Amino acid sequence: MNDEEILDKLRNSIIEGILEEALDFIHKAIDANIDTKQILNEAIIRGAEEVGVRYEKGEYFLADMLLAADAINDCMDVIKPKLVEEKHKSPGKVLIGTPEGDLHDIGKSIVIALLQGQGFDVVDLGVDVPPEKFVEVAKYENPDIIGISGLLTVTISKMIETVTMLKRKGIKAKIVVGGGILSEEACNYIGADAWTKDGWRGVKLIKNLMEDN
Amino acid sequence: MPHDWEASRRRIGGTIAGSPGIDRIPYFPIVCEEIICRISGKTFRELLSSPKIYGNAAIMTYEFLKADSLAIPTAYAGPAEALAFAEANSKEDTIKWSDYKVFMAKQGAICKTEEDIEKLEIPDHSKISLWDTCLSAVDFVGKKTRYPQACALGIWSVVQELRGLQAYRDMRKNPDLLLHLCEKVYQSQMDLYNLFTERVGPSPTIFFTGYAFNKHMMSFEDAMKYEGQFIKRLQKETKAKIMFHNCGTSPYFDEVCDNLDVFAINGSHPLDIEYWVEFKEKHPDVTIVGANIDVSRELFSGTPLDVEKKVKENITHLASGGKYAVGPVCCLPWGVSLNNIMAIPKAIKKWGTYPLQT
Repeated sequence: MNDEEILDKLRNSIIEGILEEALDFIHKAIDANIDTKQILNEAIIRGAEEVGVRYEKGEYFLADMLLAADAINDCMDVIKPKLVEEKHKSPGKVLIGTPEGDLHDIGKSIVIALLQGQGFDVVDLGVDVPPEKFVEVAKYENPDIIGISGLLTVTISKMIETVTMLKRKGIKAKIVVGGGILSEEACNYIGADAWTKDGWRGVKLIKNLMEDN
Repeated sequence: MPHDWEASRRRIGGTIAGSPGIDRIPYFPIVCEEIICRISGKTFRELLSSPKIYGNAAIMTYEFLKADSLAIPTAYAGPAEALAFAEANSKEDTIKWSDYKVFMAKQGAICKTEEDIEKLEIPDHSKISLWDTCLSAVDFVGKKTRYPQACALGIWSVVQELRGLQAYRDMRKNPDLLLHLCEKVYQSQMDLYNLFTERVGPSPTIFFTGYAFNKHMMSFEDAMKYEGQFIKRLQKETKAKIMFHNCGTSPYFDEVCDNLDVFAINGSHPLDIEYWVEFKEKHPDVTIVGANIDVSRELFSGTPLDVEKKVKENITHLASGGKYAVGPVCCLPWGVSLNNIMAIPKAIKKWGTYPLQT
């Protein structure tokens, strides 16, 4: 099997969300001495993009996204040490969490996996995160983007509190809020820089924000 | 003037029946625990301290909002069902309590493993003190106002609470296991329905939270597999009529009405009013409760005038011939201005009084 075939197989196994197969091919790619950046760009990033395209077309749903995200996550774990070793520059650092009072994590989990699949450094604060925690970790990690993801309408008040506190404490990162409850109006009201209603759109939005920087 | 719950009942009943003779379009908000806390000034624990306190606070809140609907919000297939499962399976530590809103379950913590699902005990709701309080509060509200109370059920909303994100992996990797969990949730919902019937009386209508039916989440086929088939069974067993709720941004309302027997739908998306006009033409027998009044838009960041315009838009396009109730979706959040909330009943009075002026 030549390099191109290995990368094709790896990309397809990511798109199909077949974890074991993806791991098998990423190890084959490493054993074949394929450049790590090539593995990332041609198999993982392109695979993640195809998953997003299929989701947008209505061919893929949350379950398919999640399985692909799992495959991406595990593949990233395999090549991450090599990327660090080779001083690969991450496109950005994202700090993400679900605000206090909300324990839902589906949207956040999808975004994290897909961002990692695009080479981003992601710091996951988990769920039910108080505004003070966002500020504390943002000061330490100095992220480019802060993502606040929530499912419940009751979360909006906490998003406002979190964004207000981040801004008052001088955190310069762009703030993206995410969740099916949100709208342009709610985003403006919350004081965030951008909003997304689902995970894949969130990833595209964050990539665009980083390119604008 | 005291709230006339009999008039509210007639408005809702007349609207669903599409019969002339009602005074105005009904107002059907979804009131969650935090709005009751906000209006009554009580913590959620105080509300749960007695059915009478909870019932009176709920009545006070709905009356304050000038609503034509009335319910005890905790008594539905959401966190309270997760709590019932948590208690029945000695996993109370998965529940997190708050002062001014409903408790929540750590998503997926109750059914973390396959073994958890296999061994999952179905709750006996009569032994869960929270449900005892809630159903007693439902009974209290029904008796005090003579406003009929509906049982509120759901399948996927509970599955998500119990299994969390893992449920979506199961959908592709272990569908039989997921169906097994759905079946257990269904058994639990039937236990709840039977207890409701025993404690409150027959529930000829069921408010069904159909969270599976969202295009972002799953295909319609999967939604039918993991929730729709259970709705059909539920209807067969109970003979109850279904009001179908989905507060997602891409609901399968059209497909639901084509495939399931529902008398009303409750949601706030799609936002395009033309969708709703076409929906009404295609499903003339289905009552629309809501349409495109989304709580995260005009209510949150607009003015009372913006809210009035939105209500007017809905009434103008959808109220002719009945089968339409104004209803912002989903729950009214804590931070929404009361002026905006109160703009809804004012707008209904102005634009929704029969004969319609629009």
